[in-house]
Amino acid sequence: MNFIFDYISVSTFWTIVLIVHALLAVTTLGALTHQAVSVALPARRIVGADGFLTRFRAVYGAGYATAVCVLWVVTFLIGGWIYTKYRISIRIPLERIGYWKTLGAFEMKEHVAALGLGLLPAYWYFWKNPKNPAYDSVRTAVTLLLAAMCWYAFLVGHVLNNARGFG
Amino acid sequence: MAVAGREADTQETQDKSARSLATSPAFGTFAIVFTIAAPIIYVASEVAGWPLFTYHPATNRIDFGWAAPRPNEGPAMYWYGWVATMLIGASLLGIVAAGFPRLRVRIPLFLIWLLPLLALPILAYGLMPFWTR
Repeated sequence: MNFIFDYISVSTFWTIVLIVHALLAVTTLGALTHQAVSVALPARRIVGADGFLTRFRAVYGAGYATAVCVLWVVTFLIGGWIYTKYRISIRIPLERIGYWKTLGAFEMKEHVAALGLGLLPAYWYFWKNPKNPAYDSVRTAVTLLLAAMCWYAFLVGHVLNNARGFG
Repeated sequence: MAVAGREADTQETQDKSARSLATSPAFGTFAIVFTIAAPIIYVASEVAGWPLFTYHPATNRIDFGWAAPRPNEGPAMYWYGWVATMLIGASLLGIVAAGFPRLRVRIPLFLIWLLPLLALPILAYGLMPFWTR
């Protein structure tokens, strides 16, 4: 692995990994937001041209379930890898300048990501049984919760990167 | 408004490969029990200090269970250990429960979203030093 550092600096390497993590997070966020809106505000059949909002919420939610699970796991794994570097290179300098609430919000993000990981098996199962009415309300609740978790994690990660990145 | 209908047709085809798992009562029981157990185990692991292992990022040292930071070796990280405890514990419970597929119809499904929600304030409370400093 160290051969990479013959070509790029350590900070460049971790910045690239962080950007990959962020892009995966954006993809997860987009998929989950589409799905959450589709269950919270389902589109009804209308006559005439579809508007942007109608198209946004008219997605077939079940088609996103596997992708969301894979994206969450891959984003989680890369985030977990970055977390080792964060603990030394980001958190300690931010502690020295007293960014305690930002750091607390980030530690909470790690908890939220782990709880989201624990939700995935049931989330996937409910979405793969979309015609079972017994799962309708729990499917909606789990999807909204997972979407809220994803938004929190994304925004906190963004704020922390603004406070101090790897570059 | 044919967008949803067209996407549904395409997805119906793509979803066939996942149907055997998705329609399995045993997997359904596993998924529901895993998801209910995961936040309980995670919170218990965090509150009681039961990480499966402790990682010391400055030296790449891994200690089994909870270990304090070592002098001059930087901080200790417990989050990986909490996640490992959660995944292994919830998986074991889920596998055992999968042997009783009828169990899933007796479990209140609202626990699946309620328990992670209840876990959040407990975990936030554990981060109190960050909020009050």
